[in-house]
Amino acid sequence: MRWMTAQRIVELTEVTKIYEGKVMHRALNRLDFEAEEGEFVAIMGPSGSGKTTLLNLISTIDLPTYGKLVVNGIEPEALSQNELALFRRHNFGFVFQDINLLHMLTVEENIVLPLTLDGLPLHEMERRVKKISAQLHLKDILNRRPDELSGGQAQRTAIGRALIHQPKMILADEPTGNLDSKSAKDVLELLSHVNETERTTIIMVTHDPIAASYCDRVLFIKDGEFFNEIYKDERRQTFFQRILNVLSLLGGNVHDLRTL
Amino acid sequence: MNFRQFAYRNVIRNRRIYAAFFMASVFSVMVFFLYSMLLFHPSIENRFLQEIALVGMGAAELILFIFTLFFLFYSMRAFLQARSKEFGILLHLGMEKRQLHRLIFIETLIIGVGAILAGTFLGYMFSKFFFMVVKEIVLLPALPLYLSWKPFALTVGAFLSLFIIISLSAPVFIRTGRVEELIRGEMADLGSHGFSTKRAIFGLALLGVSYWAAASTSNSIVIGLIFLLPPLATIGTYFFFTDSLPFLLHLFRRRKKFYWRHFWLLSVSEGVVRLKENARMFFIVTIVSTLAFMSVGILASLTSFASQYREMNPLGLVYHSLPGNQMEQRHVAELIEELKDKQLDYTLVRIPIIEQTSSFTENRVSILKLSNVNLLAQSFGYSKIDLSKGYAMFLPPSPSSYDFLKKRTVETTLMETDITIEIEGAYPFQVFPSSSGIGTNAIILNDSDFEKIIMQDIDPISVYYAFNIPDWQNTKEIGLQINRSFSESIITGTAQHLQYKFDNPGANYAIIRTTFSLLLFVGLLLAGVFFLAAGSFIYFRLYTSLERDRKQFDVLRRMGITDKEFKRIVNRQLIPQFFFPWGVAFVHSSFAFLSLQVIWDALAEISIVKELLLVLAGFTLMQVIYFYLIRWRYLAHIKASA
Repeated sequence: MRWMTAQRIVELTEVTKIYEGKVMHRALNRLDFEAEEGEFVAIMGPSGSGKTTLLNLISTIDLPTYGKLVVNGIEPEALSQNELALFRRHNFGFVFQDINLLHMLTVEENIVLPLTLDGLPLHEMERRVKKISAQLHLKDILNRRPDELSGGQAQRTAIGRALIHQPKMILADEPTGNLDSKSAKDVLELLSHVNETERTTIIMVTHDPIAASYCDRVLFIKDGEFFNEIYKDERRQTFFQRILNVLSLLGGNVHDLRTL
Repeated sequence: MNFRQFAYRNVIRNRRIYAAFFMASVFSVMVFFLYSMLLFHPSIENRFLQEIALVGMGAAELILFIFTLFFLFYSMRAFLQARSKEFGILLHLGMEKRQLHRLIFIETLIIGVGAILAGTFLGYMFSKFFFMVVKEIVLLPALPLYLSWKPFALTVGAFLSLFIIISLSAPVFIRTGRVEELIRGEMADLGSHGFSTKRAIFGLALLGVSYWAAASTSNSIVIGLIFLLPPLATIGTYFFFTDSLPFLLHLFRRRKKFYWRHFWLLSVSEGVVRLKENARMFFIVTIVSTLAFMSVGILASLTSFASQYREMNPLGLVYHSLPGNQMEQRHVAELIEELKDKQLDYTLVRIPIIEQTSSFTENRVSILKLSNVNLLAQSFGYSKIDLSKGYAMFLPPSPSSYDFLKKRTVETTLMETDITIEIEGAYPFQVFPSSSGIGTNAIILNDSDFEKIIMQDIDPISVYYAFNIPDWQNTKEIGLQINRSFSESIITGTAQHLQYKFDNPGANYAIIRTTFSLLLFVGLLLAGVFFLAAGSFIYFRLYTSLERDRKQFDVLRRMGITDKEFKRIVNRQLIPQFFFPWGVAFVHSSFAFLSLQVIWDALAEISIVKELLLVLAGFTLMQVIYFYLIRWRYLAHIKASA
């Protein structure tokens, strides 16, 4: 089996996350999870199940309350805030539901932003922007601003920004949540293309079974705990059907099927 | 909970938003009230200062009022924009627009009344202290604290009407177009660059011309420039902020080699947005700061003006009697009596001046007797000068001409009396005022030759009465009678027939000093208000875009920007906003002073560089403190949600 030989890039062992506050909230409870390099994993679950918390832990924005977390060979707890920031910058690319392009920058500048922070030489930056924009069909709109873009174009720009520094892993939080079905399909095909050609690990939180059906594996969590896990098979159609089956088992929550 | 309670609670619970706005309003009210207290002070009446005080304070009140109006409009708009989401929800829940307007009206009025109460209260508390400062600066007699309804009525009336205007017009600021838009919040249009290259170059050209003219000005054209340059520079500054600066930044953005370097990308692009939103505000802050620098700079130079003035005018009183003056004895006796009355020590030296034609230049030359000059010099504590028969000395008309004359030796014959003398060197002490009226071509002659001229029945052309009064600053009550008849003859147009001149440097100095100190005072207080307001504007602007900035911060944080880097980005965004208008104001006022220095030079040979540097340093220090304060608050707000 493939995952036996591959390098593990994310490994959570009995991770618990508790948010202290006026009301104490246990977002994750003794969760085990791992992902191998080059894998495309979806995380699904009802609202409030801890999907985003899990993603935040993996992206080292949050630290676990108990349990062990290893990302790309390091334990985030052992690093300082500054080291973590640099670690994120060099290893991760982020894609968000509400896209979050910086509104005052053009498409080109948004894409190149992560590189400028590291002070790469100009010709190298230009070379990479050229390559990425060809790949993502952004060539004609490089000088536009975010408010002049369609949803699909904006998300493609965000993916360009996530890819430009050739990260080890892309962390996506509902990347298709605000897109129409055509743009969503484009974005998902783009992500799986990147996953196949660049061997970039992708971890994606999603509500959408169609989006999940593009992945290698889907992890289901409920109330912060492991619920189920399924692997893709030969045909996307049957994989999709199996995802739906698990979702209906998750509690038959109609709300979570709304995107169908 | 009724509607009014709802409005009240809205204000109380939004107090963090409104705190800065409230404080700035309170401060404006307070300063306004303090001015009013001085304006209506009973013991200021019937003094010669009164007129200046009224004009100065009145102008300050008016400027303050207008400025506060703009300030409140501007900040109100910023706050209502920041709360547009809240209003959207209220409308969504079915509140009528009319009710929303009433809500805002009541809220604004609550804040306004609160600010007026707090401002007048604080103002009254501080007025005793304020009077003490005024007394110290303006050299007024001690001003007792008084209670009168007038300053209260003026302050409350002015600001209440102001707040009512604001409250009534505030609802206009919320775009009640579509509820959905309000909920989403609005964003400035960031599409086009929004500048015209023509105007950009025009603005730069105007500033360039103004600077060049100010730097290369000379005495003869400076008066014309005073009227020409300020409007030119003002228009230039306006275009500089609306067009030239965006234009320059646009050029910078094309240079990817620099623009795509570390944090420049983020900070410059953010700077462009801020500039676009705030160009007019930056313009106002610049002009206001320039004015503040100028007034304070001019006034700070006063201390050196005092000592220089004394050097230029060593004599306490000067009475210069021309031939045919029948009032001579009476006037001099009057002056002596008044001096005795006031118990002022004095030394009076009567110096007759004769006139001869010099064979060397064929010009008329005024001649003073050595023993007279020595007498005067001794009263200052200077040593006696000796001249033997046949010798004379130049009397330099100004300190700068001394250096030139002290090495000169001229042999000449006084043509009318045929006496040959050698004029050697110049008199080293300054015992006469710079513009003494003795003449620019004057010599001091040894006693025996002087007597010889007198023997030949040559009458003196004038008699110079020099009063040396050590306590020279207290002479403003002396010679008022002479002054009055002098001014009368000016009014009746008979001044040219007057056979005497009278000069009281002490009184002149007191007037100059009081006027300038008062201006300084008004300028400083106004500068204080402007200073606070300018910083608050920036803070309000930051506050309006806080939501957007937070989101941005979240993206950057995930992307992996360290705290230190984020601070640097914020620095690069904030520092220009804080210091750029001030920087431009610095440059503006420096050039203005460069041309003013020409006037100063003409007026009295003094330099104001040191004072100016001190003032600029002081303002910079204040601004730096304010910058750190606001950056601290801003960072706290940004990170609060993340």
